[in-house]
Amino acid sequence: MKLRRHDLHLLSGVYVLDALDSEVERDRFERHLARCLTCSGEVRGLREVTTRLALAAALQPPATMHRRVLASVRRTRQLPPTTDVQPRPGRWRKRSGWLPRLAITAAAVGVAAAAALGIILSGTQHRLNAAQLENRAIARVLAAPDTRVLRRPTSAGGTATVIVSPSERELIVTTAGLRPLPTSKVYEAWLINPRHIRAAGLLPAPHSGRTQPLLATGLSPGDELGLTVEPAGGTTRPTTTPILVIPLPV
Amino acid sequence: MWALMGGSATHLAGRWARMKSMDPRDIHAAQPRAVPGQQRDLDLDRLLALVARGDEAAFEAVYNQLASAAYGLIRKMLRDPAQSEEVTQEVLLEVWRTAPRFDPAKGSAATWVMTIAHRRAIDRIRSVTATTARDYRAAEPLLASDEVAEAVEASIDRERVRHCLDGLTQLQRESITLAYYGGYSYPQVAALLGATLSSIKTRIRDGLIRMRDCLGVSG
Repeated sequence: MKLRRHDLHLLSGVYVLDALDSEVERDRFERHLARCLTCSGEVRGLREVTTRLALAAALQPPATMHRRVLASVRRTRQLPPTTDVQPRPGRWRKRSGWLPRLAITAAAVGVAAAAALGIILSGTQHRLNAAQLENRAIARVLAAPDTRVLRRPTSAGGTATVIVSPSERELIVTTAGLRPLPTSKVYEAWLINPRHIRAAGLLPAPHSGRTQPLLATGLSPGDELGLTVEPAGGTTRPTTTPILVIPLPV
Repeated sequence: MWALMGGSATHLAGRWARMKSMDPRDIHAAQPRAVPGQQRDLDLDRLLALVARGDEAAFEAVYNQLASAAYGLIRKMLRDPAQSEEVTQEVLLEVWRTAPRFDPAKGSAATWVMTIAHRRAIDRIRSVTATTARDYRAAEPLLASDEVAEAVEASIDRERVRHCLDGLTQLQRESITLAYYGGYSYPQVAALLGATLSSIKTRIRDGLIRMRDCLGVSG
């Protein structure tokens, strides 16, 4: 069912009630939301209404829950602050000097990296600006003399492109065409070797099927890059079968 | 889209019937502790920033402010006390784990926590109904107009919510409460209310906008 833009806008109420019919519909609305300032403002206000509805249903939980929750909190590690870069409304239209600089860098690192950049750069201006925060680190990876580009299909469809610099011990991962996830789930990247498993960040929500570049730093020799589907917010250990594992030339 | 509804009318009706037959104690036992309001939200935002740095005392303060709201909402949606307690604990632990990723620019701390709670409860409803649908009896899918009364209780803030819900048309009110407290998707709400999809979509949005204005909520 193809929805017109106007119809999409009308779904804001259904969306804040978490009452959209399918993951596809939710994903489509969220993509619209990322582009529509009026909608994101409206969604924020309507969400506050649902909070009042929640508070109106308040009910004292069993007293034992307090102790149990605090005990498990003491045993539970927190996630690091998010490493992905979310587009911010209001900043999208601001032009940055990023594109020319990156283009020069890309020219310097050859055809392969430029091909990968095509993925990163294709699309609208706001994605470029959203990636701005990481641009220096990304430029560093791209400019490294030993940069390699790896592209693999994933078992969730689509492909992942990894640009890795062994000397910088950093990599950039972008994806295209991965199966869309409901907002309760997220793709999480991992650095895995026989000695440790390290969370490497969450893939940002896709725009037009593509995710913005995610930067992972501190690669160790023997690391493989893995991608799994995890609950929103990510986990500290992978809990599902990876949709992709790429050995890294580190 | 309608095909997705196939065969599920019975359990829809069953779940709806359970919602209607709420234990009145749920309402009277509720604590008026959760007081909505800008001041409280500001405090919560600050507390959550401390939680993000691993401050367990701040987490306990967040617990004290929001655990009853999370539990009440989840209990209202799931009905089963044991499951509700389990899901509430998951939610609160997720608040602890993901606090470093809370972004105050996207909404208040209370809204962030309640969104997690609501989504977790819906996940549970959708996984549970798939396995236990057959246990439900076909029940009368009639709508009690006093459903609203079950949703709110006597504190001032609840009265406010109730007052604003009362200001909606019946279709707006029923669509919103079925979707939010019942965890029904909007095609299911449309089926229960015998309305079209586009009408439910519009009624829900119009109703929430009217609620927003009535409650004086700023975005």
